[in-house]
Amino acid sequence: MRSPEAIVCAGLGRRFGERDALAGLDLAVQVGETVLVTGPNGAGKTTLLRILATVLRPSFGRVAVAGHELPARAADVRREVGYAGHDPLAYPDLTASENLELYAALYAVPEARVAEELDRVGLDGRRGDRAAELSRGMLQRLALARVGLHRPSIVLLDEPTAGLDADGRDVLRRFLAEPGRTVVVATHEPEWFGSLGGRVVAMTSGRLAA
Amino acid sequence: MSARALRALVRKDLLVELRGREVVPSMAVFVGAAFVLFRFGLGGTDLAGGTRAATGMLWVAIVFTALVGLSRSFAHEREGRTWDGLLAAPVDRALFWAARTCSTFLFLAAVQAVALPAFWLFFLQEHAGPSYPVLIAAVLLADVGIACLGSLLAGLASSLRAREVLLPALYLPFSIPLVLTAVRVTTDTIPPQTGGFDTLGRLGFLALYDTVFALLGWALFEYVVED
Repeated sequence: MRSPEAIVCAGLGRRFGERDALAGLDLAVQVGETVLVTGPNGAGKTTLLRILATVLRPSFGRVAVAGHELPARAADVRREVGYAGHDPLAYPDLTASENLELYAALYAVPEARVAEELDRVGLDGRRGDRAAELSRGMLQRLALARVGLHRPSIVLLDEPTAGLDADGRDVLRRFLAEPGRTVVVATHEPEWFGSLGGRVVAMTSGRLAA
Repeated sequence: MSARALRALVRKDLLVELRGREVVPSMAVFVGAAFVLFRFGLGGTDLAGGTRAATGMLWVAIVFTALVGLSRSFAHEREGRTWDGLLAAPVDRALFWAARTCSTFLFLAAVQAVALPAFWLFFLQEHAGPSYPVLIAAVLLADVGIACLGSLLAGLASSLRAREVLLPALYLPFSIPLVLTAVRVTTDTIPPQTGGFDTLGRLGFLALYDTVFALLGWALFEYVVED
């Protein structure tokens, strides 16, 4: 039976050399819930999202995403998850459209969806521009378009408001408001997400703050 | 394996190279400079070791030229953090190795299309032309081996801090059997040499080398890129 929890972390840890970036984190996220992860720089927010996105392996503890244990079932998790990292993860020498076409092929979605997603994030007029020519805010929109390509049930966003102007924030707000999606956002601006009704959890030194 | 995903990854590498012009020009300049240095450093075309010495220089230059391209392979994506986007995608990670092997092969072949005629002009202009079918077979088989081995080791080295040192330290010893065989086959193609069945055996060895490193690359790359 599938877990009603979209994400479960129990005693989750990640070690880099001698330092524990995550030090026994316990967190459960319900299906359809929005969770805002806050905390100072170095608290472990990005490490947590990278583990949930299967980009990084945990060093210890248990983590399950969409009912699949990691790292054993990482391939199943990747189909369910859309991940936008702190960096836009776009190739600077490829156009906005070419960047999305690459990911459309990797996620095995129809190429027609590239135009749909560019239109949704307001980049339809810039589809032929190289990513290197796009502003930070436009790259964030491109990242949102990439995340939405395969219609993931779980979305992981790392500082998604960084560099976004008012229009870009509207795009992000509409994206997050789409129903039925579990969202985990690492942010320094939890108040901006307040209207979306997310649960705020604070991290410090690789754990949830008491 | 998804053919569409593989095509998209190779296309991405080719477009990035076409627009950034980072790898192929560096490789071409390197191999050209190596030929010039060999030519003048060793005192012209009349080499003491004859054609064997000349083909030895050719393959040493090619192996080091490939290293110039491989040193940027994967490291570029890790530094630009685009690697995370690929790792999060639901495809077998061996596909990243396969795509990089294809693009490395194409870059190497593009450089050789200019470098091989230049080499003949520099060192073997007094000899009759080579046996082209055998030469082309040897070059293609050796290039596949270099690309398979190099992409695997470049992926391994890219996650490590000392990758500039580690990549040559791993790649050069493993390429010795390939270089020795490629040198002998290439020498066999130049008249009056004829390798006969020995040449066929050597081509077979190159094909075996390619197969071994293709299987190793496919099987191990998943573990090589784990963070």
